[in-house]
Amino acid sequence: MSGSFTRARGGRVKVRLGEPDRAVIAGLLEAVSGMLDPEEGAGDLEEADVGDDVAPEPGDEDAPELGDDEAVLAELEADLTASPPADPAIARLLPDASRDDPDLAQSFRRLTEHELRDHKRTALELAASALRRPGSVVLDDSEAQALLKGLTDVRLVLAERLGIQTDEDAEFLHAALAAGAGDGDQAWSQAAGLYDVVTFLQEDLVHTLTP
Amino acid sequence: MSSHHPSWPVPPRRAPARATPPADYSGAVSVAPVEVERPDLDEVTLPDVPWVTIVWNDPVNLMSYVTYVFQTYFGYSKEKATKLMLDVHREGRAVVSNGSRDEMERDTQAMHEYGLWATFQKDE
Repeated sequence: MSGSFTRARGGRVKVRLGEPDRAVIAGLLEAVSGMLDPEEGAGDLEEADVGDDVAPEPGDEDAPELGDDEAVLAELEADLTASPPADPAIARLLPDASRDDPDLAQSFRRLTEHELRDHKRTALELAASALRRPGSVVLDDSEAQALLKGLTDVRLVLAERLGIQTDEDAEFLHAALAAGAGDGDQAWSQAAGLYDVVTFLQEDLVHTLTP
Repeated sequence: MSSHHPSWPVPPRRAPARATPPADYSGAVSVAPVEVERPDLDEVTLPDVPWVTIVWNDPVNLMSYVTYVFQTYFGYSKEKATKLMLDVHREGRAVVSNGSRDEMERDTQAMHEYGLWATFQKDE
């Protein structure tokens, strides 16, 4: 996977991936953007990947089919309470800005979470649409930066789904994949494989962006 | 933090855009008349109380990426960015910037945009 990105003229970055591979990465970026959509509520990456008509999980009070007005009210209420997102993956993308002062974390979240969601979604969508361009893809600087941030968010979500909590977990996953573990668990293998691929891509992109 | 490769040298891409924090507070304090109640300590907020931004270790972000972010956003040298990255990795956290509360809020938000977990607080 090394050599997936190379420097092009004018500080731009050439993407050396085929369209099918680019489509997979774009799909992941779009799925995470969908998860961050306040209208969508908490979603699962796999469910977001599949797309439409996702059944709400039991106990998920935000998800039931509300009328437009009710949805707006629910969102307003969510803004007012400004509590961390229930989905741990989204909570990791939009983390508390204080670990020991809940009031500070809450007021900061109330002021900034909306903007942070917008920033992330804009970057994720910009990177995805660049990767979906037909033919050979050359990223300008803003697209390359958006992809760098977007790959980070994809990795954070996949890591949460894979239960990676510590540095040791991450090393174990890498080693387990290399040893061909997880063959019995198709979903785990698939997510772990994606995590590994996106990790290599990001490492490669950081390297390429480094002058 | 995750390390697929050791970090490599990166010159800073741009200088930090933040203003220098104000110098130590040296404003004159008027002596309150005896009959005037002194304000609570909480209400006397010195304008120059230093705040800090802290970045916490996580098992996902790559060492090369964290170093790149510290250089790119803060304009730190490769040496300083690498040292801070290693502090985060080994100690679990590191103070990455200091200044006014507004500045630290901005830095915290920027770190979250990059996917790093940052918090801000008054300097201890």
